[in-house]
Amino acid sequence: MSGTFFLDDQEIPFREGQTVLEAALAAGRFIPHLCWRPELEPHSSCRLCTVLISGRPFSACTQPAMKGQRVVCDTPQLKDLRKAVTQMLFVEGNHFCPACERSGSCRLQAAAYHLGMQDSHFPHQFPVRERDSSHPEVNLDRDRCIRCELCVRASRQLDGKNVFGIHGRGVTSRLEVNAPSGLLRDTAIAAEDQAVAFCPTGALTVKRRGFELPIGERRFDRSDLATEVLEAFAAKEARHG
Amino acid sequence: MLRPAPVPLQDFLEARLAEHHRSPHALLQILVAVQHAFHWIPPEAVEALARELKLPRVRVQGLVSFYAFLSDEPQGDFVVHFSDNITDQMQGCRDLAARLCARLGSELGQTRADGLASVHLCSCTGMCDQGPAALVNYLPVTRLSPERVDRMADLILARVPLEDWPPEFFRVESQLRRSDVVFREPLEPGSGIRGSLERGGEILPEWEEDLAPGDARRHHLERGGAETLKELYRSELRGRGGAGFKAAIKWESVRDGKSGGRFVLCNADEGEPGTFKDRFLLTEHADTVFEGMTVCGHAVGSKRGILYLRQEYQYLREHLEDVLRRRRDASLLGRNILGSGLDFDIEIHLGAGAYICGMESAMIKSIEGRRGIPRRRWPLPVHQGLFRRPTVVNNVETFACAAVISARGGAWFAHSGTPQSTGTKLFCVSGDCQRPGIYEYPWGISLREVLRDSGALDAQALQVGGPSGLLLGPEDYGRSLCFEDVPSVGTIMVFGPQRDLFDSAMNFARFFRHESCGLCTPCRVGTTLLANYVRKFERRCGSPVDLEEIRRIGEIMRTMAHCGLGQTAPAHLTESIRKFPEVWSSRMRTSEFVPAFDLDWALEEARSLTGRTDPEAHLAGVEVP
Repeated sequence: MSGTFFLDDQEIPFREGQTVLEAALAAGRFIPHLCWRPELEPHSSCRLCTVLISGRPFSACTQPAMKGQRVVCDTPQLKDLRKAVTQMLFVEGNHFCPACERSGSCRLQAAAYHLGMQDSHFPHQFPVRERDSSHPEVNLDRDRCIRCELCVRASRQLDGKNVFGIHGRGVTSRLEVNAPSGLLRDTAIAAEDQAVAFCPTGALTVKRRGFELPIGERRFDRSDLATEVLEAFAAKEARHG
Repeated sequence: MLRPAPVPLQDFLEARLAEHHRSPHALLQILVAVQHAFHWIPPEAVEALARELKLPRVRVQGLVSFYAFLSDEPQGDFVVHFSDNITDQMQGCRDLAARLCARLGSELGQTRADGLASVHLCSCTGMCDQGPAALVNYLPVTRLSPERVDRMADLILARVPLEDWPPEFFRVESQLRRSDVVFREPLEPGSGIRGSLERGGEILPEWEEDLAPGDARRHHLERGGAETLKELYRSELRGRGGAGFKAAIKWESVRDGKSGGRFVLCNADEGEPGTFKDRFLLTEHADTVFEGMTVCGHAVGSKRGILYLRQEYQYLREHLEDVLRRRRDASLLGRNILGSGLDFDIEIHLGAGAYICGMESAMIKSIEGRRGIPRRRWPLPVHQGLFRRPTVVNNVETFACAAVISARGGAWFAHSGTPQSTGTKLFCVSGDCQRPGIYEYPWGISLREVLRDSGALDAQALQVGGPSGLLLGPEDYGRSLCFEDVPSVGTIMVFGPQRDLFDSAMNFARFFRHESCGLCTPCRVGTTLLANYVRKFERRCGSPVDLEEIRRIGEIMRTMAHCGLGQTAPAHLTESIRKFPEVWSSRMRTSEFVPAFDLDWALEEARSLTGRTDPEAHLAGVEVP
């Protein structure tokens, strides 16, 4: 099935099998998201892409586009809820942007700017989480992990390595490394892995690569998350026809 | 560890792996078996299972850490889990757990240094009508009293094996207080299946010798199944698990599903605290439940049924396997049922302690041997369910009703109840009432009548449908239990006039924090923030701003959470604040803002480390509790 649907007041064309999010991005409309990348199966966990269809909430990254469907996306209420969910991500972990190498190229930070987040609002939880600096090239800082599982999926599906998994449940669940020691140094991970590249925050970073670009000149310092994502998506679509 | 292993771990694993044909989907079933035999999952078991099932070790660990009854640390020879539902709490479970710990010289949540015993709290074990209850080595012990706990301590200290404990400790009563037309008489085994088969025409005796040509049989079976589906439509049966979806629509979608290999899945994960009707049905009407699954198999063209049994009810497994065996012997299950050519069999899968697995898509993951994380909404289980095959998922009670409908007819069933809620319903009444137990009523019964029958007319409030359901006060007692008014899985927890409703708020907030699967942000963080705000009121430091925050977080979770757990988790709190404001205002320090950070509270860790409880260890002017 293909056809068009309405995203707020805009008519959006879609191809068979596309989700609301894919069709929107292809049409140049941005819907905020953190746990979705076009190369990977959708996960529907960050919930930023929540939209309303017939008054009911759905995640745009998993909802198939359907003919004539009316999708409500950019209302003040939904924007406010997306901002609140982003604030939740900030207070759940330990995010100190001024001291983070990823500042300026961090999607969490960029989403916060995009959504007009001025403060973290909720009480900080200050969790105590273990850091893993055992690997010569890759550093894992769980304080910055937002449990989007992009690295889990990328390592499995794109790198073919299965370096990561999730341990526990609920708020104490955490990113776990697939090795008897539980340490990155005993895995096959490498600096150029997609698992590292896809980390939206500074949870996974490449060692000894600091300040190659000064803060203030990095991608999300220069342009909004929406612009960046739409450009990258368009480039990818063009490559794949 | 003192506990002598029944057999060497490697041999035990090899036997389990062989039994399950080394299928990675059996991972959870194997882990449950290891837990029961060794009281933990040793690292060598993780290693061996990952190797033998060709799974990443992190997936095995992910499973162990996800399910509450699997442990990655050694547990004692005696593992005690006290049910910590609000009804158990009102009956003193916390004091009893502390009493047992004191007698054993151990700490709650820990294993005694010599490996003798571990004492934990756990979510509701489904014994609310005969609580407070606990599981000892995964077997339920009911009606706990200080005397019974002391006796338990003696038995544990003397290392008396469970087989030699007084049998009355383990007695689980059915407590059927009122029955109605559907469950008054047990259904004659086979009558539902016969009804279904006979709708296709007369069963010819020579078929038993397999003389009739295959096509005629197939046609006969087809027609019978289609007619049974019509009968189910006539009954207007709605799912008994809470959501109330029309069963016939589900069945028809699966029947129409293009791909074969369809599944019939019975949800016996009854995890909603305060609910124990499935325990009753599986004990007293197991035949009827299996009969309903078989009728469903006939109607939708499935050969495989699975009953997903919650860990807390694994004590019923033997009984259920017996019933399955008996049914196979009576040709009511297995190949060529009653000579009709119908093939259908049922196996039992065990859960391992996760409320979320009551959600159908999480249950499907669990049966596939994965963490019970709810899937995305599309495709629906009826189109792509278990192993991506069309799958019917219905509650235990729904299948039992379906069997009765097949035997007695849809119109007969629809005769009782209300227009939108046909038939009868089992209600589980517990808490502050004189006669806790199971009550069968036609849908539409008023709450007041239920309260009168169970001896709870003085209730100050009711939680209907479990913690994710509705909090109702006396002004609601005239309302009707039915999908048109107060829908429910059948759970009614009664709070008497002497109760502080704050305790239920605290209990439910902790419950949801504990049971959130952690997948989505709003639920994972929201349940934690809510529990922390409630904790602030527990310390009597609440403020109106906090109530506003609880309401707002509730709104965020209702719209943004991935599944029903997160969407309904805040309901009790927001309703409690709306309907019983004095419960909250009495726990406020001021009428204005109080910061979440409390300097005196921040010293608590230092106090506990130094063992100080004296007033000098507190800031000046702070009221010491």
